[in-house]
Amino acid sequence: MNIIVGLITGMISGATPILLAALGGAFTFYAGIFNIAMEGMMLMAAFFAVLGSFLFHSWLVGLLFAIAGAMILALIFIFFSVTLNTDEFVTGIALNLFALGSTTYLLRQIFKVKGVFTSKLIDSIPNIHFPLIEKIPLLGPVVSGRNLIVYLAVIATIFCYYLVFKTRFGLRLRAAGYNPNSLDSSGVRTSRMRIQSLLLCAVFCGLAGAFLSLGYVTLFAENMTAGRGWISLAAIILVDGHPYGIALISLLFGFFDGLGLFLQGYGVSSQFTSMVPYIATLGALYVYARRNRERERNAL
Amino acid sequence: MDDFISLEHMVKVYPPRVLAVDNVSVGFQKGEIHSIVGENGAGKSTLMKLLYGLVPFDSGVVKINGAAVHFRKPGDAIAMGIGMVHQEIELISQYTVWENVVLGAEPVRGGIGGTLDSARAIELVRRKIDEFQFNLDPSAQVERISVAALQKVEILKLLYRNVSVLILDEPTSVLTPQEIPQLFAELKRLRDKGTTILFISHRLDEVLELSDRITVMRRGKKIATVAASETDKEALAEMMIGRQVIFTSKRTPHPRGDRVFEAKGLSVTRHDGLKLLDNVSFSVHAGEIVGIAGVEGNGQFELVNSVMGLAAPTSGSITVNGGEITKLSILERRKLISFVPQDRGKMGASLPASILDNAIMTHHRLEPRFSAWRGLVLNYRNARAFTDTLAKRFSVQMASRQSPFRSLSGGNQQKLILGREFLLSTPFFLMDQPTRGLDVGSIEYVHGEILSMREANRAVLLISADLEELFLIADRILVMHRGRIVADLVAEQTNIEEVGRYMLEGKITA
Repeated sequence: MNIIVGLITGMISGATPILLAALGGAFTFYAGIFNIAMEGMMLMAAFFAVLGSFLFHSWLVGLLFAIAGAMILALIFIFFSVTLNTDEFVTGIALNLFALGSTTYLLRQIFKVKGVFTSKLIDSIPNIHFPLIEKIPLLGPVVSGRNLIVYLAVIATIFCYYLVFKTRFGLRLRAAGYNPNSLDSSGVRTSRMRIQSLLLCAVFCGLAGAFLSLGYVTLFAENMTAGRGWISLAAIILVDGHPYGIALISLLFGFFDGLGLFLQGYGVSSQFTSMVPYIATLGALYVYARRNRERERNAL
Repeated sequence: MDDFISLEHMVKVYPPRVLAVDNVSVGFQKGEIHSIVGENGAGKSTLMKLLYGLVPFDSGVVKINGAAVHFRKPGDAIAMGIGMVHQEIELISQYTVWENVVLGAEPVRGGIGGTLDSARAIELVRRKIDEFQFNLDPSAQVERISVAALQKVEILKLLYRNVSVLILDEPTSVLTPQEIPQLFAELKRLRDKGTTILFISHRLDEVLELSDRITVMRRGKKIATVAASETDKEALAEMMIGRQVIFTSKRTPHPRGDRVFEAKGLSVTRHDGLKLLDNVSFSVHAGEIVGIAGVEGNGQFELVNSVMGLAAPTSGSITVNGGEITKLSILERRKLISFVPQDRGKMGASLPASILDNAIMTHHRLEPRFSAWRGLVLNYRNARAFTDTLAKRFSVQMASRQSPFRSLSGGNQQKLILGREFLLSTPFFLMDQPTRGLDVGSIEYVHGEILSMREANRAVLLISADLEELFLIADRILVMHRGRIVADLVAEQTNIEEVGRYMLEGKITA
C-alpha cells in the first residue's frame, strides 16, 4: 500500500515541473514560435526562486523572483526573435546556454559555493493539507499534502485548455501559428500575440522552476533542471500542444521518473535508473508514430 | 452623379525609379461594378493597394464622398468601409467558416481572455450568408471546402465588417470555368444591394460581362474609363497593349509528317477501382498540334503524369519515335520530350533560384557543354551565354541573370520556361495549360511560339481548358471526359459548341 502511494506521489512530483513548463511552451507552440527556451527559463526561475526566498525569507517573494527570472529570458527572446527576427532555434539555444552559464556564475558570486546551495534561511513553498480528505485511505495521502504548486498545476491545465480553445485570445493565438498573414489582415498584429505567448510561457516556466528549487527540494544545484525543459518540448510536440494531452504525457514521464527513484532503493544503480524516463519517452514516441501511421493509412 | 470614391493624381514610385502608378485620376460611383484592366505590371493592383492603405503613395489625394482621407494601414480602410480580397487566399484552414469570418472582431461574453460567444458568432455569420445568398455552412471546416467557397469566405469576412466597397484582385484566376458564373451572379447581387465593387482583371471577356464601367491602365498610366456597354474586346485589348491584337488564328496549313508520339490503351486505376484514365489511345504526328479539351479533373492530370513518368500507368504503353518509354526514367524521357507544366512556380521552375539556374535546368544534365569534371561542376561561362541567348531569342525582360526567377513577371516566367523547353532538341512537346494566368500580349506570343514549333516539324500535345485557344492553334482536338477520349475532331470540321457538349456530356445526344 505504502509503495503504491509512494509511487503515485513520486509521479505527481516528477510530472509537475514538466507539466507547467509544457503548458507555457504550448502557448508559444500555438502562436507559431519554435520555442526551445523552456529549459533555460526554468533554470533561471529555479535560481531566482532560491535567491528571492533566501533574501526575504518568504516563498512568495521567491515565487515572484522566479517568474521575474524566467521573464528576463522571455524579454531577450522577444527582442531577438520577434523584434529583430532572428532564428528561433538559434536564439533558444543561446538562451539555454546563457541560463546555464549565468546561474552557475551567480551561484558562485552571490553564495560563494560550487555545485549546490542550500540554507536554513530559504523558505520553501508549503504543502497544503485538506483535513477531511486526508482521512480517506489511499486517496487521502495522494490528494492531500501535496505542494501548493501541484494544485496550481492542475488548475493551470484546465485554465490553459479554456484559454486556448474557448476565448478570443485563444482564437487569435492559434491563428498566429496557423496563418499569421490571415491574422494580420484581420487587423490583429501577429507579433503582439507572439509576445503575449512568450510572456505567458515565462510565467509558467517560473512556476515550474520555483517548484524545482522550493518545492521538490529546497536548494539550488547547477543545471538542476536536467533536461526537463527538453522533455516538456517533447510532450508539446507529441500531442500538438493540447493541454490535456500534455498532462497525460507529463504524468507518464513523472511515473517513470518516480519509478527510477524507487528502483534505486532496491539497489539498481542511479546512473541506470535516471535513464528510465528517457527510455520511456522514446517508447512513447514509437507508439505515437505507429498510431499516426495507421491513422494515415486508414484515412486513405 | 458625384463620385463616391475619387483618386486624384495618384503617383507611386518604387525605388529606384519604377513609376508603378503615374498620375492616375479615376472616380468610382456607389453601387457600380468597376473593372480595372491592364496587362501584368500595368499598375492596376498597385493602384488599388494605394487606395486600401497597403502601399503608401508618393503623391495624390484619396477622397471619399468628397472628403480627403488617408489610410495608413488596411485596418483604417476597413473602418471606413473599404475591403480588399487579395489574389492569394489567406484563410486559416484549421478553422471553421465562422471562426475565420469573425477573427479580429469576435463577439465575446467577457471574462479572462474574452470568452467567445460562439452561438452568437454563428448566428451573425449565418445572417450575413442568408442576406447575400452565399450558400455556405458557417460551421464547415475551411480545409474541406472548394476554392470558390474559400473566396466567398474572404468576401464574407469583409461583409461581416460592414464594408460597402469591395476590391477584388483577379478573383477568377483560381476558379474553374464552372465556378465563375456563380461568383459573377453573387457580385451582381451585392452591387444591387448598393455595394461598390472594384474588380481587377486582365480577362477581357469576364470584364465585359460583369462590369458597368471599365478603366484601362497601361504602364502605370490610365488610358481611359469607358462604359462596358460602349466597348468591345478588340478595343479594350488595343488600349491595354497599345496596338491591335489579333484574336483570329494565324495558323496556316502545314503538312503533317511521321507519327512521333503514340499512347496505346493507357489506363490509370485508383486503389478503389475508379478508372481515372480509361484505355486512352491516340497519336501525335510531326508538325501537328493536337489539343486536349476537357473540364479539369477528367484525366488530364493522370495523362501528363503517365507521359512524363511522374506516376506509372496501370496498363498501356507510350512510344516516342517508335521507342517504348514506359520503363524509362524521367531524365531518359526528357531527352525525347519537352515539357511545359501547368504550375510554373512548382514544377516548371524554382522560384528562389536564379534566372540562370532555371534557364539551364534539364540542359545541364543532357548537354555536356554545361558541365566539367564529369558533371561535378557547372560550366558557368556556357551557362551565362546560353541564358543570354535564351532571353534574347524569347524576349525575356529581366533585371539580371542572377535575379531570382520569382522577380520575373508571369509572362516573362513563362517565356523563359517555354524557351528552355523549346531549345531542347526533342521531337515531342507536351504543354499543360501554357497560357494560364498570362495577359493578352503574352498569350499571343506563346501561341506564336507554339505555331513555330509546328513549323519546325515537332509534334505538339497541348492540354488546355480554354476552348478558344485550342481553336486558334490546334489541328486536331481530342475531348477527354471521365478518363476517356470521347471525341477526335479536326479543328476545321467542328465548332466550340460541339466540343463544349462533348466536354460536359461525353457524347452527343441528338
